[in-house]
Amino acid sequence: MGPQHPMTHGLWTLKVKVDGETVVDTIPDLGYIHRGVEKICESRDFTKITTYCDRLCYASANTWSHSYIYAAEDLLEVEVPERAEYIRVIAVELQRIASHLMWLGAFCPDIGNLTAFVWCLREREMMLDLLQELGGSRMHYNFPRIGGVKRDLPIGFAMRARAKIKLFLDRIQETEQLLDESTVFLVRTQGVGYAKPEEMVNWGVTGPNVRAGGVNYDVRWAHPYSVYDQLDWDVSVERPSIKGADSYDRYRVRVDEMRQSALMCLDALNKIPGGAETHYSEGDPMIISKAKERAEEGKTGFHHFEDSRGESMFYMVGGGDQRGKHPYRISIRSPMFLTIPYASKCMIGYKVADIPAIMGSFDPCIGETDR
Amino acid sequence: MVFSLGIKTRGEYAEEAAQQVIDAAIVRWQGTGLEAEVRNHKSGMARPYVYIKCPRNHWRAVAKWLRFEMGADHCSMITGIHWPDGPDDCKWEVVAHLMRMNVINPPERGGWTKQVIRDPKILQDDDVPMEFEVSISIPDTRNPSVQSVQEVWMGADWNEKETWDLVGIDFEGHENMRRVLQPHDTPVGFHPLQRQHKIRYHDFEVMYDDAQGFGRKAIDEGKTK
Repeated sequence: MGPQHPMTHGLWTLKVKVDGETVVDTIPDLGYIHRGVEKICESRDFTKITTYCDRLCYASANTWSHSYIYAAEDLLEVEVPERAEYIRVIAVELQRIASHLMWLGAFCPDIGNLTAFVWCLREREMMLDLLQELGGSRMHYNFPRIGGVKRDLPIGFAMRARAKIKLFLDRIQETEQLLDESTVFLVRTQGVGYAKPEEMVNWGVTGPNVRAGGVNYDVRWAHPYSVYDQLDWDVSVERPSIKGADSYDRYRVRVDEMRQSALMCLDALNKIPGGAETHYSEGDPMIISKAKERAEEGKTGFHHFEDSRGESMFYMVGGGDQRGKHPYRISIRSPMFLTIPYASKCMIGYKVADIPAIMGSFDPCIGETDR
Repeated sequence: MVFSLGIKTRGEYAEEAAQQVIDAAIVRWQGTGLEAEVRNHKSGMARPYVYIKCPRNHWRAVAKWLRFEMGADHCSMITGIHWPDGPDDCKWEVVAHLMRMNVINPPERGGWTKQVIRDPKILQDDDVPMEFEVSISIPDTRNPSVQSVQEVWMGADWNEKETWDLVGIDFEGHENMRRVLQPHDTPVGFHPLQRQHKIRYHDFEVMYDDAQGFGRKAIDEGKTK
């Protein structure tokens, strides 16, 4: 199956060995859009790399650039103003909602429910509007900066964000009802692709896929990096059956996570120091602090980050070309790079027709996988 | 005056747990040359992590010890660095990032499962989520290699494949080593993240005149396919 197949959600090939209708063995074949981001970054300034990190995943650009920024701040030893951290949380959580909606929108047509696709994209549009106000663009925002954020919250943003998030919370309920009462959706997702949490973690699968297995592990919960420990939120956990989490559990946990992200945004808008309605101009120390340009040789920085698909991570080594202006080495940990092999093994024993329902429920994204 | 009432904060529990790992490592790996210390992230909240400098010939044993005794159940990333100008005993480096997630299968309760819900503020000792960074130096050699930990973590499998594919560090005992990100017909011995391979814009500070680079020749033109 692939590289051009509706199941793949990108460019990759799944070699499937079948016995009649049953899947016997699978081999994933990746690397179709390997662009060498790690190599390119070795000859770029720290500030220029953010743009490349945005392009790692088109559905969830903000989380990836933030993931890089936190690692760069660890390398360059930068303290970030608290207001900037709150703005980052808002940006990342809005992006997480948009990413999960994109996933749901792409997953439902795979298994025969076209209506949900249109509904999800309609709600995603609201999130993209809000992100456009922050970053200035619809897909690739280039929003965070080392030491803070590019711009403050625009005037009136809090009001519009609150209204749109409340509308979203109503509408996600509609979508949920649509799917939970759709026989086609239930029949195709329930009881396929069982996965147990211990096995998943051993394979390197993280994020919503593990939380669907009934374990409340989240990087934001275990290693709270930004202001996540000051906000009011719960880790969304699903209650799986004895056999493990199936595709339906993975759908449920993502819907719940969207709701938690929305509540987190509302909470951050209330708690943001200085108030959500005040506006600082660009370069104000309230939203961005001074950062060094160079990293000395022998310094390293890394940061585990909760991406919308799992735990992403950048490992950076300082002291590259231009007397430390460039990183010596950047290594990217993509959650999907390890999840795709697991998902491919997970579908052994099921029917060929179940492959889209299992693969899609793991939320594959090939841009970040191939880097 | 501060009344602590004997209740420790989350950060103190984390530091305590990190120190316990260090103490255990010093006792267990005495005489092997293994070094371990607690380090802190330098941005944001002070979060300790465990840094281990592991001798090359003990890596698989240390990995098993970390996995089964220290509870590092998640292999986050294994990556390699090429240091052509580095000291003789560290021309290549393999860095592994591990995590202690303490994920268990939810227990069964009456035909259904019970969710595993933990409160991070009261986790202690072995239960504290912890980050590990393990660094392994490889001396100057034509064929750099370390032991494979494929059998310890399934997740290490694809990480090691990627490291060999891009950096060219081999893993002894790795089954089914193959190209994952590069094409299958990539020339043998070509690993793009080694430092002798330069990208087209290398050493060009200003590239406005020819942003696409059509006018320039690749440095390695004629040498690769």
